Amino acid sequence: MSDSISKLKTLIANIETIIRGKPQEIKYVVTALLARGHVLIEDNPGAGKTVLAKTLAQSISEGAIDFHSPQGGVAFKRIQFTPDLLPMDLIGSHIYDETKKDFVFKKGPLFTHVLLADEINRASPKVQSALLECMAENQISAGDTTFQLDPFFFTIATQNPIEMEGTYPLPAAQLDRFYMKISFGYVSEEVELDIYTNYLTINNGKNTIKQVLAYNDIIHLQQEAEKVYIHPELIKGVVHIVQGTRKHQEIALGCSTRGGITFIKCLKAWALVNQRDYVIEDDLRTLAQPVLHHRLIFRNREAARTALSQIVDAEVNKLSKMGIQSKK
Amino acid sequence: MDGFSAKQNFQQLLIRWVLVVVPTIAIGYVTLRFVNFSYTALNSGIVSQTIYFSFGLLLAYSLYYYGARWVVSLIVLWLAYLLAGRIISRLPGEFDVFYATARFQLYSTLFIIGWIFGLLLAKLRWAHFVLFGLLTVVTLISISDTIDVSLSYILLHIAPVMVYGLYMLFLSPVLTERIEISAKKSAKFLVRIALFVLLILLALFITESLFSGNLKAVEKELAARGAKGKDGKGGSNKDNYDDRNGLMEKTDDGYRLKDTMRVNSKMSSSDKLMFCARLDNYFPDGSPAPLYFVYHYLTRYDPAKESFTRDVNVPSLDELDVDPARLPMYYSFTDTSILRKAMADKFRKITEASVYLSENTWKHAVLSPSSAFHIQTIPVEKDFQKTFLSAYKTYSFTSELNNAYFVYNISASPMLEKIQAQRNEELGKIKNYNRVSSQFVSYYTAYPTGAIYDSISKLAFSLSSKEARPIDKVLAVRDFFLKRNENGKRIFKYSLRAGAIDDPNIPSSKMLYNFLFKTHTGYCTYYAGASLFMLRALGVPTRFTTGFATINRSDKNKGWYWFYASQAHAWTQVYFPEYGWMDFDMTIGNEEQQGAPKPDGTPPLPPPEPWLVLSAKAETIDLKKKQLTASFKNLIFQNTPYELNKIFTRPVDASLCRVLYNKRDTTLAAISPGDSLIIVSYKDEAKQIPQPQAGVAIESQVEKFPSPIIADEIHIRGKEKQAAKKDTAKKKNNQPEKKITLKDIAWVSGFTLGSALLLLLLFPLLYLTYRTIRLALASKGTAKADQLYRATLYRLHMAGMERETETPLEYAEKKIDPSLAINFAGFMKMYLRLKYAQRNLSEEDNRQINQLAKEIGPALRKKNGFIKSFINYFKVGRAIRYFQSPTETENPTV
Repeated sequence: MSDSISKLKTLIANIETIIRGKPQEIKYVVTALLARGHVLIEDNPGAGKTVLAKTLAQSISEGAIDFHSPQGGVAFKRIQFTPDLLPMDLIGSHIYDETKKDFVFKKGPLFTHVLLADEINRASPKVQSALLECMAENQISAGDTTFQLDPFFFTIATQNPIEMEGTYPLPAAQLDRFYMKISFGYVSEEVELDIYTNYLTINNGKNTIKQVLAYNDIIHLQQEAEKVYIHPELIKGVVHIVQGTRKHQEIALGCSTRGGITFIKCLKAWALVNQRDYVIEDDLRTLAQPVLHHRLIFRNREAARTALSQIVDAEVNKLSKMGIQSKK
Repeated sequence: MDGFSAKQNFQQLLIRWVLVVVPTIAIGYVTLRFVNFSYTALNSGIVSQTIYFSFGLLLAYSLYYYGARWVVSLIVLWLAYLLAGRIISRLPGEFDVFYATARFQLYSTLFIIGWIFGLLLAKLRWAHFVLFGLLTVVTLISISDTIDVSLSYILLHIAPVMVYGLYMLFLSPVLTERIEISAKKSAKFLVRIALFVLLILLALFITESLFSGNLKAVEKELAARGAKGKDGKGGSNKDNYDDRNGLMEKTDDGYRLKDTMRVNSKMSSSDKLMFCARLDNYFPDGSPAPLYFVYHYLTRYDPAKESFTRDVNVPSLDELDVDPARLPMYYSFTDTSILRKAMADKFRKITEASVYLSENTWKHAVLSPSSAFHIQTIPVEKDFQKTFLSAYKTYSFTSELNNAYFVYNISASPMLEKIQAQRNEELGKIKNYNRVSSQFVSYYTAYPTGAIYDSISKLAFSLSSKEARPIDKVLAVRDFFLKRNENGKRIFKYSLRAGAIDDPNIPSSKMLYNFLFKTHTGYCTYYAGASLFMLRALGVPTRFTTGFATINRSDKNKGWYWFYASQAHAWTQVYFPEYGWMDFDMTIGNEEQQGAPKPDGTPPLPPPEPWLVLSAKAETIDLKKKQLTASFKNLIFQNTPYELNKIFTRPVDASLCRVLYNKRDTTLAAISPGDSLIIVSYKDEAKQIPQPQAGVAIESQVEKFPSPIIADEIHIRGKEKQAAKKDTAKKKNNQPEKKITLKDIAWVSGFTLGSALLLLLLFPLLYLTYRTIRLALASKGTAKADQLYRATLYRLHMAGMERETETPLEYAEKKIDPSLAINFAGFMKMYLRLKYAQRNLSEEDNRQINQLAKEIGPALRKKNGFIKSFINYFKVGRAIRYFQSPTETENPTV
């Protein structure tokens, strides 16, 4: 346990040398990684999404399935989604090999450990669904062959805010596949000053980032996260929250059961990231927004701002007033 | 309410209709019911009254909700009112204009009251305080008008207003902001309302069960106090007359000639019907001869208080000292000594008068023509019970020479002028008072000393000489007031606004002086007072008399007279040897303002005459057969009261009878064994009635009574057995009546309200005590941590650091630790581990618990100071917020 905690600490500290002023977001990303999920980052360009993904990949030494990575560490690929992108551009395609006189499969960029799918909502739904299949099933089907992906496979997708032009918004069913949707936002004045002052060092650091964790460590941490203790009352709390979203008048589409399971997984991983082996009520409040908000469809904007936190706050308040339950 | 769409706004309005307007209408209905019970003048359907009230309320509330300007809308409303009044009064033909306008005025008044309520509720945040106060006052006043009330009756009447007040208090924080509608919220809200109702019920139950003993004691004491007040000497009788005329202004003892102008300036209040009476007094030609109705004689002038008062030791006072309200139905009281005390034998006759008292009249004194010696209570016919609450018949020893047409109605008819002249001639036979006892004369001519009184006596001597006949002196005084100046105008004028002096501290003698020598303007008390002094100065025995002026207004119902509050009057009575006391009313008629007289109403039907009245005790009641057995010792048989030498028990047939309790109809089932009853059987041709026989003992006549005795009316007098037992000792069965004054009610409700408020005020401290005790009692580590957690959260909350939507850990990290410099966050982390990881306590954890327990008190005191920390525990609103769920904030953007 303490071993895992120290490893996590080093990982986070390592990423923080490059990504300044975003401890919470780093934690979210690591949480999603430990919960074996994927992250959707909705933000404007230039907030540091790519750097985060790349740094994460570089911090971990080579993986089990040999995907090539030029900088060392586990494999990292980045795809810039555009409206004319085709599924084969992601998956790869069968190419006629003159020497073998046969079609061989040329693997696309999806065959990797850490994938940065940039501006996912600019691609056509066809491409989006191709990506989502491998996210959900951890496998790629091309023609008659099905390739297994590495269990590590971790996607960081980004999307422009919906209001921007030329986008294909992700449907609710596909949004549901992302464990978390987070927003980076701009850094504070002091942090920005720090970045501008030291941009050279930071830039150099990108290339010389240390590999602090082994591939197996991540697999171990993922197992460790599953062992985190969650109190029955907290599970009840999650049930209440999930059901609350379904009953709320201002919410058109409530949270699915898959969403609930994801929530539990994320809660456990988050506890571990916060160096605990048990979940507390605060975690519910912190994670409800990134984990649940993008799964819900609200009837109006007012509700989108307040409805979920109403439900969660009421539940957390109830939990905080509950006394210590005696052991059975 | 800005910033929302019209639809949302309307939705909000609808919610407020349900939450605010509907309860207010309900309380309005309840209050109107009470008021209607107390004031029959309003009587025109409570439901329609409520409808008008609610209409005004709804309209105003909705209008002002949308931000209407109140001045403008009030002006529009006023114009609409005037216009509608015009239209209604001009409706042609069969439309009963008077009725329509009276009702219209009532309804429009209620509409405007509703409007004002709506305005207050929509505009003022603290409107519920105003309304609560207003409603309480109205309810208290309407209760205080009721006699025969018990404390539970008061509580029952006060309870709706109290509940309404609490409800609005409970609701008011919700109303200041937008109300969210969601299934969850409304369910929660409903639960809160339900809890509130439960709480109220619980409170009522506790009050009932805890204090019922005490309340009964209070009730008894109140009853005893009320009885004591009446048992005292006549002199200490409180005059509860609420007459805005100014004459009947209440003092402990008698009337003062002091400024009453402020009360008088409104004539409208004097339209109240006080009583009506049938007076069996006619001139020889058959036309009715009205007599003034006497209330009290104020025989003594108290120079210290400068007021006319009633006196205890009066030589031969012909005033009947009995409380008619305490005479059982059909019972009579006769004081034949009054025939002697009237000190008259010439031109005397016995005059019968039936007096029907309305609810406005104080029913504890006899109102009758002068020198009443007999009184009997009689029932009021059912159809008239709304207007008249009680009635009695009196016999007075009156003078044929006396009537209300003295002095100022001379010009009414030649016949009256002739009668006046005859009377003066007859009384002129009296030359002096030599044959009357000197004690009597000196008492009634007692004259105070002082410069003002001297100047009055000087004035009197300038009008007449000491040697003149008494009647000449009286006429001289009369002529003095009737004098006209060179322009032919009267010098003395009648006015309710007696001069420009508006200072109650000016002694009344000074005002009297001003009246006589300067302003020449006053109302009856001035005239009566001035003429009393002048006549007494001249040696004529005179007394100050209060009562009602009798005005004959219609010949439609001969012998019937109606008395309104404006007829309350004061005048002088002058004694003539052998002829007795004569009314001399010196008051100048009001020439300028002769208001249209109110028409006389319909006289009540005379009640049927009973042949038998039993004062009985119920023994057994058979509801199926509608029979009961009653034991009795006192009875009135053919109008003669008897007391039997033993107790008789007889069956009574109640199958056709009316049962009354507190003058309201009830059923036979309301009678329980042991109740004291008045059983009345009417003279009815169909029944065989035994006739009283001279010389036969009453007991043997009772034996001949039919069995069962057929009852026509049963009045339930008392539910208390003790009272009945006590009363049998007395011949006059005087059951003490509970009369609860406004003060008592105010005291009781004030006490209840006060203790409730005190409890509310002490609530935060009590809860702190509870938390501290729980903490002290918790011994085990985890339990202690738990209690410490709760106690600390509460203490921090009360210290002004309220937790909003943060979790306790965030709260500790962000709010508490930076401002208090303690390690509450550390404790919280430990606590959460205990709570959610189910670990055992380590040494370190115990240390942390003890440290926080030690640190928290001093840290809070350091921050707020000891006194402020203490004062913080009286912030009830804050304590209540502790138990509420935190108000939601917007999502942090993720």
